[in-house]
Amino acid sequence: MNDSTHNSGSAVLINNLTRHFGDFTAVDHISLKVDYGEIFGFLGANGAGKTTAIRMLCGLLMPSGGSGEVAGYDIYKQAESIKKHIGYMSQKFSLYPDLTGRENLTFYGAAYNLRPADLSDRIHELTERLELGEFINQLSGKLPIGWRQRLALAAAILHRPRILFLDEPTGGVDPVFRRRFWSILYDLADSGVAVFVTTHYMDEAEYCGRISIMHHGSIIEQGRPFDLKRQHGTDSLDDLFINLILSQEATRA
Amino acid sequence: MHRIRFIAQKEFYHILRDFRSLIIVIIMPVMMIFLYGYAINMDIENVSLAIVDFDHSVESQQLTERFFASPYFSPGENEVDMSDPEQLLRSGQVAAILAIPPGFSAALARGEDFELGMMVDGTDASLASAVQAFSNSVLSNFLMDRLPPNFDIPGVTLSQQVLYNPDLKSSHFLVPGLVAVILMMISALMTSMTIAREKETGTMEQLLTTPVKPREILIGKLLPYVVIAFVDGILVLIFARLVFGVPFVGSQLLLLGFGLIYVTTALSIGILISSLVDTLQEATLLAQVATLLPAVMLSGFIFALKNMPFVLQAISYIVPARYFVVIIRGIMLKGAGLEVLIPQAGALVLLMVILMTVAAAKFKTRVV
Amino acid sequence: MWRGYIGLIRKEFIQIRRDRNMLGIIFLMPIIQLLLLGYAVNTDVKQLDIDIYDFDRSTHSREFVRSFEAGDHFVPEEVISHSNTDPVWELAKRFKTSETQLALLIPPNFSEKLTRNENVTVGLIADGSDANAARAGLGYAGQIVRKYSNHVTGMEVPLEIRHNFLYNPELESVYYMIPGIIVTLLTMVTTMLTSMGIVRERETGTLEQISVTPISSHALLAGKITTFAFLGLLEMGLALAVGILWFGIPFAGSPWFLLWVSALYLLTTLGMGTFFSTITSTQQQAMFLAWFFSVFAILTSGFFSPISNMPIWMQNITLLNPMRYFMTVVRGIMMKGSGPADMIPDILAITAYGLTVFTLAAARFRKRTE
Repeated sequence: MNDSTHNSGSAVLINNLTRHFGDFTAVDHISLKVDYGEIFGFLGANGAGKTTAIRMLCGLLMPSGGSGEVAGYDIYKQAESIKKHIGYMSQKFSLYPDLTGRENLTFYGAAYNLRPADLSDRIHELTERLELGEFINQLSGKLPIGWRQRLALAAAILHRPRILFLDEPTGGVDPVFRRRFWSILYDLADSGVAVFVTTHYMDEAEYCGRISIMHHGSIIEQGRPFDLKRQHGTDSLDDLFINLILSQEATRA
Repeated sequence: MHRIRFIAQKEFYHILRDFRSLIIVIIMPVMMIFLYGYAINMDIENVSLAIVDFDHSVESQQLTERFFASPYFSPGENEVDMSDPEQLLRSGQVAAILAIPPGFSAALARGEDFELGMMVDGTDASLASAVQAFSNSVLSNFLMDRLPPNFDIPGVTLSQQVLYNPDLKSSHFLVPGLVAVILMMISALMTSMTIAREKETGTMEQLLTTPVKPREILIGKLLPYVVIAFVDGILVLIFARLVFGVPFVGSQLLLLGFGLIYVTTALSIGILISSLVDTLQEATLLAQVATLLPAVMLSGFIFALKNMPFVLQAISYIVPARYFVVIIRGIMLKGAGLEVLIPQAGALVLLMVILMTVAAAKFKTRVV
Repeated sequence: MWRGYIGLIRKEFIQIRRDRNMLGIIFLMPIIQLLLLGYAVNTDVKQLDIDIYDFDRSTHSREFVRSFEAGDHFVPEEVISHSNTDPVWELAKRFKTSETQLALLIPPNFSEKLTRNENVTVGLIADGSDANAARAGLGYAGQIVRKYSNHVTGMEVPLEIRHNFLYNPELESVYYMIPGIIVTLLTMVTTMLTSMGIVRERETGTLEQISVTPISSHALLAGKITTFAFLGLLEMGLALAVGILWFGIPFAGSPWFLLWVSALYLLTTLGMGTFFSTITSTQQQAMFLAWFFSVFAILTSGFFSPISNMPIWMQNITLLNPMRYFMTVVRGIMMKGSGPADMIPDILAITAYGLTVFTLAAARFRKRTE
C-alpha cells in the first residue's frame, strides 16, 4: 500500500470544491492543501459544511464541482484507490456495538484486506499503544465513551493509512481523555501521517499545526493558530472565531 | 378535558406524519378488503378438466358437453398425451382427467353397469373433494335427463334450502370477519406501538413530569385510534355492501355497541403489551404474535375452529375476535338479535373487564 | 476481495449469534408458526354439525339418520327429541347463534311413503354464511341420501365414476398446506432479514464506516446475501424436517431440484429485501415494507385458495407475484414428484423475476452506498 510514486506531494489538495443539495450549497468553492506529517484543523459552527467536505474527501459523496486529490488520487475517478490510503473516524460511534473490540478490528482488518497473521500482530500493537487493555474483549456498545473513541481510532488506523480523517472525534469525551487522544494524534503526525480533523472545541484547535475556519460553506480564514491570533489582535482562538463569524454575519446582512 | 384534546391532537399528527401508520390505517384495510374479498375465494368453479373420450359416441359427446356446460368445470388447454397422461396433472395444467372408456354408449343403452374413470389431483384436498362431488352431480343430472318426463323415481330426494347466503359466496363469509381483524390491528397493534414509541424516545417521561394525569394521557392517546378504528370499520362495511353486495340484515345499533366493547378489549390488549416491552421493535413483534395472528387464525375468520386440535381450540376461547366474528356475522347475515347472542356477548364483556383491569393496573405501576 | 467478503460473513454470524430477537425470528418463529398453521390452516370440511328434526321417528327414519353418522363428515344431533320448544323457533335460534350449520327435516310420512315405494322428499337447510362448509355439506348430504335411497329401493345406478386421487389419496389438506407455509416463511424471513440487516448498518452508521474501506459495494452486498441465503435455506430445511417428522408429509420429488429452485427464488426475496433497504431509513420502516409485501404476496399466491377461483383480473394480478410460481413448484416437487420438465414456465418465471429484481436492487444499492 506504500507505492512510492505518491509519497511526495500533498496529502490533500483541493481547489474550488463545491457541493449542492438541491438549492442549498453546503460547500462553496473551498480550496486547501494539507501536507503529510501535519495536523490540519477544520473549524466551524454546526452546519458550516465541515462534515460534507470531509465526506467528499473520503469518497463517500460526489462533489458538484471543483477538483481535488487525496493521497495523489483524483477524488472523482479514483475513490477506490483513495480508500486504501485513508482512515476515517466519523462523528458518531460507528463500530458494531454487538461485536467486541477485537471482533470489530478483525472485521475491519479483513475489509482492508490485511493478512490474518499481520492483523493479529497489528491488533496486539494497537491494544498496547492505545492502552485498550481488557476493553478489547468487551462488547463495544457497552464501553464507556472514551474507550469507544479509542477503539474507533484503532479501527481507523489499523491499516496504517497515510491520511487520517477525523470528524469531531472527541465529542462527549472528558478533558483527560481528550488530552490522551491528542497525544496519540501527535505521535501519528510525527510518523508522517496527515491528520485532518474537524472540531468546534477551540482549545483543540490550538493543538493543530494549521487551521481553516468555515462558515456557511466557505473558508473564511486559514493559517497557523499563532499567526491568525496575531493578525486579528486577539489572545484566544475563541475570540477570533466569534469575531470572524460576527463580522461575516454583519457583511451578509 | 382540553388537556386530553391536546394529547389527542398531537397523536393525530404522529399518525399523519408517519408513513408506517398511514399504511396500517388506510392502505392495509383497503388492500385486505380486496385481497380477502377476491383472492381468498373458496367458491370452487372453473376447475380445469381434461376429458379423454374413447367411446366417440353421441352419448359420450353429450356427457362431455354436460361437464363443460356446468359452472364447475372448464376444458384444459392441452390435449392429453396418451404416453404419459399424468403429465398434465403433474405440471398442474389440469386438476382432473376423465376417461370415457369404449362401450359407454352401448352400456348406457342396455342399462348395464358401467364405470367411468377419473384421475384427480389430490394435492389440494378441498379442491379434490369438490371435484368428486361435482362430477357425481353432473353425472346424475345427465342420467336424470335421460329418464322419461314426469317419471317419479321411488326413494328419497333431497330438497335443499340455503339460508343467509343463497349464492354461497365466500366474500359474504370473509368480509364481515375482516372487520374483526382490522379493528384488532388498529386498536391493539397501533396503540401498543404508539405507547412503546413514547417510552423508547423518552417523551412519555417528559409528559409525566407535566401536570397531566396518567389517565388523561392514556385517554388522549387512545381516542384517535378509537376514531380511526370506527372509520375503518365503517369503511369496510361500506365496501362490503357496495362492492361485494354483502347484506346487512340485523341492527346497526347493536353492531355499533358490540364494536365498542370489542375495540375497548383490543385497546386494553394494546396497553398491556406496551407495558410488557421496552422498545418499539419488541412491541411490534409481540403485538403481531399476540393480536393479529390469533385474530386471523384462531377466530374462525377463515379456518373452522372445530377442525383444530384441542389445544388450539382451548386457546381460541381467550381470543376476543372469536366472539366478535360470530357476533358480526350473526347480526349482518342472519339478523341475530341480542337474545341469541347472549353467550358471545357475555364472553366478550368478561374478557373486556379482565383485560381492562389488568391493563390499567399495569399501566399505573409501570409508568407512574 | 475474498478476505473482505469472508470477514463480512463472519461478522454477520457473530452478530446473529448475539441477537436474541434475531435468533427468535430465525429459529423459533418458524417452528411455532409451522405448528400453529399446520393445525389451524385446515380447509378440510369435516365434522359438520347437523341438527336432525325427525318428525317420523320410525325404524326407517332412524336408519336414515344413522347413515349420516357413518363417515367423518357429520355430527348429527337429534333436536326435537329432547326439546319441548317450538321446532321452528328452535331451528331459527340455533342457526343464528351458529350452533349448527345444517338441519335435516324428516317428514312424518317418511316411512309410510317408502314402504309404498313412493318418492318422499326430505328437507335440508344449510347456513350459507360459511359458503365453503355449506357447499361441502350439501354435497356430502346429497351423496348419503342417494346411497340410502338406492339401498332402500334396491335400485342401483348403473353408471358411476371411479375417482382415483393421485398424490394425496387420503385427501389430507395438511400435506398441501405445509409446503405452502414453508414458502411463506422463506419469503417473509429472507425479505425481512435482508432489509432490516442492511438498514441497521445505515442506521448505526457502520455502513458509512465500511464505505470508506476498499470493500466494494458488490462484495458488501454479496456478503450480506450469502449470509441471508444460507439462513433462509437452513430455515427451509428446519421447516421441512418439522413437516416431515411431525406432520408426516410426503416428499415425492428430488430434494436437489427443490434446493436449486429455492436458490433461484431467493434471488427475488433477497433482492426485494435489498430494494426495501434502499428506500427506507429505519429498521422499523424496513420491517413494515417487508411485512406489507409479504401479506400481499401470500394472499395472491394461491396459498389459501386456488387461483383459478379468483376473478380474472385478480388472476392477472397474481401473475405479478413471484411467490405464486414458487408455491406451485414447491407443492409440485413435494407432493407430485414433479421434475424440471413438468414446470418449465414456472421455473422460467422464477428465474426471470430473480435476475431482474436482484439486478435492479443491486444497482440501486450500489448507487445508494456510493
